[in-house]
Amino acid sequence: MKRILKTFCAALLATLPLAAMAQIDGEFVKPRTGKFLLQNATVVTITKGTLNNTSVLIENGKISQVGTNIQAGDAEVVDCTGMFIYPGMIDGGTRLGMVEVSSVPETVDYAENGNVTPNMQALTTINPNSEAIGVTRVSGVTTALAVPTGGLFPGTAALINLNGYTPDQMYGGFKAIVMNFPSSGRRGRFDRRSDEDVKKDAEKAIKEANDIWDRAKSYLELKTSGAQLQYYPEMEQLSKAVSGELPLLIVVDAAADIQSAIKWVADKKVKAIFSGVAEGWRVADEIAKAGIPVITGPVQDLPTRESDRYDAAYANAGKMAKAGVKVALRTDEEENVRNLPFHAAFAAAYGLGKEEAWKAVTINTAEIFGVQDQYGSVEAGKRANLIVSTGDPFETKTQIMHVFIDGYRIPLSNRHIRLYQEFLERSPGLKAN
Amino acid sequence: MKKQFLKAGLLGLLVAGFISHASWAQSDPTGKRRVTGTYAITNATVFSAPGQAGVKGTVLIKDGVILGTGSGIQIPKEAKIIAGDSLFIYPGFIDGAGNMGVTRPKDPERPKDMVNSNPPDEIAGITPWRSATDQYSPSASQVEDWRKAGFTISQILPEGGMIPGKSAIMVLGDDQSANLLQINSALAANFRGSRGMYPATAVGVMAKFRDVYRNASYALEHEKLFASTTGVSRPQTTPTESGMAPVVQKQIPVIFDASNDLEIRRAISLQKELGFNLILTGLEYYEPVIDLIKSSNVPVLIKLSLPDDKALKAQKEEGVTDATKEQYARVKEAYQNALKQAALLEKAGIPFAFSTIDAKAGDAHKTLKTMVENGLSEKAALAALTTNPASMLGINRIAGTLEKGKMANMIILTDSLFKEEAQVKHVIADGYVFDYEIKKKSSNGNGKTENGAPTKIEGTWEYTSETPAGSNGGEIILRKEGSDYSGSITYDDPSGSGKVSAPIKNVSVNGNRISFDFNVAADGMNLTVNISGDITGNTMEGTMSVAQFGSFPVTAKLASPSLTN
Amino acid sequence: MKKLTLLLSAFLGLGLNLSFAQTPKGNVLIKNATVLTVTQGTQENADVLVQDGLIKQIGKNLSAPSGVETIDATGKFLMPGIIDAHSHVALDVVNEGSSPITAEVRMKDMVNPYEIGIYRALAGGVTVSHAMHGSANVIGGQNATLKHRWGSSNPADIIMQDAPRTIKFALGENPTRVHGRGNGIQPRTRMGVEAVIRNGFNEAIQYKKAWEAYNAGKAQKGNTLTPPAYNERLQTLADILDGKIIVHCHSYRADEIYMMINVFRDFGVKKLVFQHTNEGFKVAPEIAEYTMGASVFADWWAYKMEVYYSTAFNAAILQKNGALTSINSDSAELIRHLYHEAAKTQRYGGLTDDEALAMITINPAKQLGLEDKIGSIEVGKQADLVIFDYHPLSVYAVPQMTFVDGVKYFDIQKDKNDQRQLVSATEMVEPIYLRNHEEDDHRCMQDMDAYYEAFQGAFMGHKH
Repeated sequence: MKRILKTFCAALLATLPLAAMAQIDGEFVKPRTGKFLLQNATVVTITKGTLNNTSVLIENGKISQVGTNIQAGDAEVVDCTGMFIYPGMIDGGTRLGMVEVSSVPETVDYAENGNVTPNMQALTTINPNSEAIGVTRVSGVTTALAVPTGGLFPGTAALINLNGYTPDQMYGGFKAIVMNFPSSGRRGRFDRRSDEDVKKDAEKAIKEANDIWDRAKSYLELKTSGAQLQYYPEMEQLSKAVSGELPLLIVVDAAADIQSAIKWVADKKVKAIFSGVAEGWRVADEIAKAGIPVITGPVQDLPTRESDRYDAAYANAGKMAKAGVKVALRTDEEENVRNLPFHAAFAAAYGLGKEEAWKAVTINTAEIFGVQDQYGSVEAGKRANLIVSTGDPFETKTQIMHVFIDGYRIPLSNRHIRLYQEFLERSPGLKAN
Repeated sequence: MKKQFLKAGLLGLLVAGFISHASWAQSDPTGKRRVTGTYAITNATVFSAPGQAGVKGTVLIKDGVILGTGSGIQIPKEAKIIAGDSLFIYPGFIDGAGNMGVTRPKDPERPKDMVNSNPPDEIAGITPWRSATDQYSPSASQVEDWRKAGFTISQILPEGGMIPGKSAIMVLGDDQSANLLQINSALAANFRGSRGMYPATAVGVMAKFRDVYRNASYALEHEKLFASTTGVSRPQTTPTESGMAPVVQKQIPVIFDASNDLEIRRAISLQKELGFNLILTGLEYYEPVIDLIKSSNVPVLIKLSLPDDKALKAQKEEGVTDATKEQYARVKEAYQNALKQAALLEKAGIPFAFSTIDAKAGDAHKTLKTMVENGLSEKAALAALTTNPASMLGINRIAGTLEKGKMANMIILTDSLFKEEAQVKHVIADGYVFDYEIKKKSSNGNGKTENGAPTKIEGTWEYTSETPAGSNGGEIILRKEGSDYSGSITYDDPSGSGKVSAPIKNVSVNGNRISFDFNVAADGMNLTVNISGDITGNTMEGTMSVAQFGSFPVTAKLASPSLTN
Repeated sequence: MKKLTLLLSAFLGLGLNLSFAQTPKGNVLIKNATVLTVTQGTQENADVLVQDGLIKQIGKNLSAPSGVETIDATGKFLMPGIIDAHSHVALDVVNEGSSPITAEVRMKDMVNPYEIGIYRALAGGVTVSHAMHGSANVIGGQNATLKHRWGSSNPADIIMQDAPRTIKFALGENPTRVHGRGNGIQPRTRMGVEAVIRNGFNEAIQYKKAWEAYNAGKAQKGNTLTPPAYNERLQTLADILDGKIIVHCHSYRADEIYMMINVFRDFGVKKLVFQHTNEGFKVAPEIAEYTMGASVFADWWAYKMEVYYSTAFNAAILQKNGALTSINSDSAELIRHLYHEAAKTQRYGGLTDDEALAMITINPAKQLGLEDKIGSIEVGKQADLVIFDYHPLSVYAVPQMTFVDGVKYFDIQKDKNDQRQLVSATEMVEPIYLRNHEEDDHRCMQDMDAYYEAFQGAFMGHKH
């Protein structure tokens, strides 16, 4: 601590709590596990209300106790007086760890060639040392779904915790096969297809999707009946969605597409999660009726149509929730997954409300992924994915003081912070020496 | 296909006619030469100018000139009589800006050391020295189409880049005559960049236009100095600068293509900045700038076309939300406003004319009628087709009205011009008479012929078409879905790989008339081809038209009325 | 008689066109707001009186002159209209990307007042945006400063006619990719970028001299002088050298920023603002000493190689080193929440409220040469104002009303949803634009895709 004070003035420390655990002249602070007592905080459990003057005990990577009078024994005590404890936030759809620099194709690993590639495993390509992971987790986002993009069935998404040295250490216990539902929207401002052509292309694509699905169904039936089938990794993986072993994460945005996707899901009797759902507000009642959960976002986005009210994207999550849709959020980001709390705050301000917005980045996401026993709230027995903050972590100026992932205490440093430390007062300054 | 022109320049009124006459003094083994150049249309209803009532009388013409109109005209013996008792005569229409019969010249070879940031003018689309006459063919099918719609004079614009060259005024007469009325009538300009090189976009085009204009005026200054002062360095005027000189000297206007209000503002701002004379053409959406047009006193040529009503017809009555209904209302409003625009120009007191570019000749009369139904007076509509363009083009001495001494250009119809039933019976252009067949129109539009039997449309049709590339043919399959038709068409692949099939779009059926579009991919381009024709029993006769390339006859036979595939 | 009428109307029309386009000026009294003046602190429960489009009075218990509307802003926050120093909203063309120098092109020629992005920006409290040429060229076109007077069909009405001239420069990956790798000409490297600028400036000096010699001698008797070739490109560069134009330079890496500072110091040009400036933090003392500062993203990074070594603390480091710093959008989406982007300087660097608010108000005003007219709530300034329900630096703040020149152009309670000014008569369903990873809402390289498709072959997706 002394040496930090030598380097940075006290005033600076006050404005920059992040620096408190940063590296010091060649030392490197690693994530470390152990027994930690987060003492005397306001605990926002999400599922069990807000508890004042409460402590949380972390042991063996799990939350072992939440209470007012915990016997911690040899636990390292972290004084959280005046601070807040929240569950770590979960981003329901990202490309985090799958790309380093998006304009450099050699570093882009989220999109494989081919239209039917469900056997492409997101988990395989996660780079545990991606700079973006360190940048993300200090914001309080501790868990993210890594989603491949590309063709009709681009791959298998994986939930990851943002700490670990191998993909398996990071794996969060949930996978889903991704489907990009055939779109009747235009691909962008340069897409000049006629209305009819757009519609026809979409119909053709749905027919193609049906054919592929039928093949996966046949594959499953024949395999179940004991047939020796030729090596067919695409069908092998896709048949897991047919059997319900893995859910289908259906990326769908335009209202008309959402409606056809609802029908498709009912027709195929598949376990489905919708992702994106930019025009969900137009057909919110139908989604609610179908009972399909939704991971929507980005919230900070433009309306899909020029005639839409300016805040259509901001208000989308709130309108769906109001109609009874189970809503979680995603950023659809790579390097800026750290903005998840701000997306959630915008959704809150434009109709979702703070409480629901919190659920949409914690317990709802966990429930949609079927991992609510491990994630999404501050409750004894769950994984110790926790954040400690000076206030509401959605609020822009709030500082995140501590982050725990799987019980590991995460150093609050990353390249952004180190560059700040080096360059705030550059030496030499303007003149040489 | 292209005819070479006698490029003697402008020799004066109807010089062309005299040259033709000279050749008539010989035998004509083809037997095609006309026997006389004198015609009298007798006892017709003559509308000699916009706003004038039709008067029963005779129109006498000789060698391309009107000798007289009215009653009590003595008809010479050599006159061929056209009985006009039930006919209505109007002055021939004048197209303020057209590209009928114009073929885009091939781009010159790029120099090996060419840099895209600084291409030679000719490659960058800056060719003010070019003349539309070099690109024009009077026998092109579009010329025939527009003449059939009543157009007898067109100012044709050259094809090319941002400054493609100079326009020429053509009379749409006999294709064996030299039909030039005035060469270099205006300089054509537009906001299209030359893709992949400077200037590539509209913002670059505007900057480049300023540059070209200013340097042309400095070049003139330099030439003037050189002519008057000894010791001045020799001017090295470029072809671009010479080509721009008549514009800078305000001898001819710039005819700027500006389709919407923002482009109109851009063209006017260039004009205000640089000071050239301006004509705006190709106007499509101009409602917000009517006051500006008025105050700038810029002549305008609006497109002789209107938006189609497909979007309106696609609106559903039931099962739509209130929000969708509001959107529908806005589309409807936009559509109705588009129809009213020409009337607003008239109301503002702006004399305007038409441009035929991007318009379909076959729809011209329908478009005019729609404008009239939406508030444009018949007088203003006729003026826009005759006297207004004549004034704008500076040919009002010889064209625009039916008066003694003017060119023998007229349109002769079976009823008065804006009547639903009116059909074109003859068009006289440059004193040549073109005859057209009068069709009996069906009384209803529900796919039924006159005797009430439904027109057979569904089924497999075998068609053949005659194009410059030879005879082409294939199958058209039409099927009915609800009240709409859909289907497919096979055609010879332009790249030579046999027959290919394309879906049919935009099928419209009106009485026994059918029209539809399909796309042909050729040379990396996507062409929309339209086939329209009349069905009688098991046959269809009509035309196949391709926007820039003209229209060609097509015939089809219903091979099997049932769809078995 | 007819001729006379025509002449008369032409004459009157001309008269009308010569007089300056009169844009609406409003009168309003906003009462009981927490007034965030930005330059003169915060006043609780204060009133702001606007007359004829200007701020007339700030104080307590002001009363409205007769006919002036009063708006009760009790419990609400009033701040100056937000200024975005880097935008491409309302431009029909962004890049004339066909030459390394296109100083002659004017974005004012391409302003499109119908673009829905203007209204959406107003709904985010943004009243002024700097509509810039793109970043394809080393020296791009001259920019337009826009005032978001939504609802006019005339581009002249939204162009801020009293704003100083500005021009776009661009360093690094974009111009070297477009011209070096795309066209095989200079610049291919950051060395080439410097050479293109120095060559351009030196040519401009010669050009200026040639015209000065001609103009000085042409009136003399017996002279044989002829006008030099006219070249608006070089004339514009000469105007930069004469200090008549503020340069806004797209830049990322510290080396190229430093190069640019040196070039401008060599030519004695001081009006230089850096745009994006992701590595500006590394040369913050130099930026502070020699330039008009930097306009940066709050947290964008890693979307291309030259922004990989960025930090979200950039704005704070620049600010604390004394560089004039603003936060911009360069995005039709981000422009809608610049107040939130500015607040990120509090998460990343702990700036004060006034420092953070200055980043989107008075600081960009200074960088656009408009600090005497806009950018703060001060008596005499143009009444560009926004009312928020919460403090604008709170993530939950929602703009309620936005005024330009005292005229209300956005009202969350009263505005209809469909704000389109133009509706197509022929589109059955209006286009739906869905998010796409390859093509997003950032338009710094707009108009270049078609350019590449046409002639240059395949290029990678590119941003900013």
